[in-house]
Amino acid sequence: MEPDEIAGLVRAAAGGDSAAWTAIVEHFSGLVWAITRGYRLSPPDAADVFQTTWLRLAEHLDRIASPERLGAWLATTTRRESLRIARSSGRTVPTLDTTLVDLGHVDDHSPEQAVLDAELAMLDAERARQLWRSFRELSARCQQLLRVLMASPPPSYAEVGAALGMPVGSIGPSRARCLDRLRQMLAGNVSAQLLCTHRHQKKRLESTRA
Amino acid sequence: MPDETDHAELEEELRRVVAQIDSVPPALLEAAIGAFAWRTIDADLAELVFDSLVDHDRASLVRGTGHGRMLSFRASTLTIDVEVTSQGNSRMLVGQLVPPQSATVDIRQGDRVITIEADELGRFSAGPLQAGPTSLRCRVSGDIVRPSVATDWVAI
Repeated sequence: MEPDEIAGLVRAAAGGDSAAWTAIVEHFSGLVWAITRGYRLSPPDAADVFQTTWLRLAEHLDRIASPERLGAWLATTTRRESLRIARSSGRTVPTLDTTLVDLGHVDDHSPEQAVLDAELAMLDAERARQLWRSFRELSARCQQLLRVLMASPPPSYAEVGAALGMPVGSIGPSRARCLDRLRQMLAGNVSAQLLCTHRHQKKRLESTRA
Repeated sequence: MPDETDHAELEEELRRVVAQIDSVPPALLEAAIGAFAWRTIDADLAELVFDSLVDHDRASLVRGTGHGRMLSFRASTLTIDVEVTSQGNSRMLVGQLVPPQSATVDIRQGDRVITIEADELGRFSAGPLQAGPTSLRCRVSGDIVRPSVATDWVAI
């Protein structure tokens, strides 16, 4: 969406046009959601931040200084509310600069895995699963950056910078580095699995011989 | 070395996976669209100017019992100070209007509103409330000229 178009929607919504509001929500909800997910909030916390951000916007519609940069306003608001709620829940907050926290992993019996299994059935499921697993093994800062970049529709670098509190100039190099790392992880996971399959086959062969 | 084409391809692939398994939950999208109905077009906005959770440096200067979360909202004519204490998922509010005055306070949460009265010294309290996005709207008693004051939404 063009900046002029966004500014037009903000002005229309501020004037009471609910269709304009819906268009704004539909366009930017992917970005707002991606940011809450990037901060690794629990589902209820992510839901609270998501809703708080939209309620906040509804009250600020006629007070936003640069309506054409609404995406950056939303990204900044979501980041601040994510940090706030992470503090109130008393958890460690992964920040882009310092995080080395353990991110956990996809538990094979978790609801997340169940959703994964069902949803990915139509895709090249194994490849997608490998990719998601590799993504989850990245450092927190890479996961956060890539998750925001993966928002649908893709955000501008100004929005990404606002979402993560990082200079726009460092986004491109960080993205390249994180994608390199993801590629390495993916290659490692795929070859580890092949090795495992290979061992399994070898074992079977040996037991057949014996 | 992988070049930009490789990066873009991997990124596209990841984008498809993310879209499949981690898109915005439909119920949240509905709620966000519904947020428009909560606009207070006839009220002054009291912006969140202090939150003891994040404003560390000033935290020691703020009065309070020391165990709650202190929030301060400021509009041109009124400041609303609130202390929030938590027990599990329930919240208790103790508030103070500055300058002190009696008022009707609507506590807005999700799809419900709880209305309480602030006494002539501007004090009010409420709870237990549910955790989640919350906004207070104050109407000064007997004053039909001045607009009401609504605070920024904040998740408590």
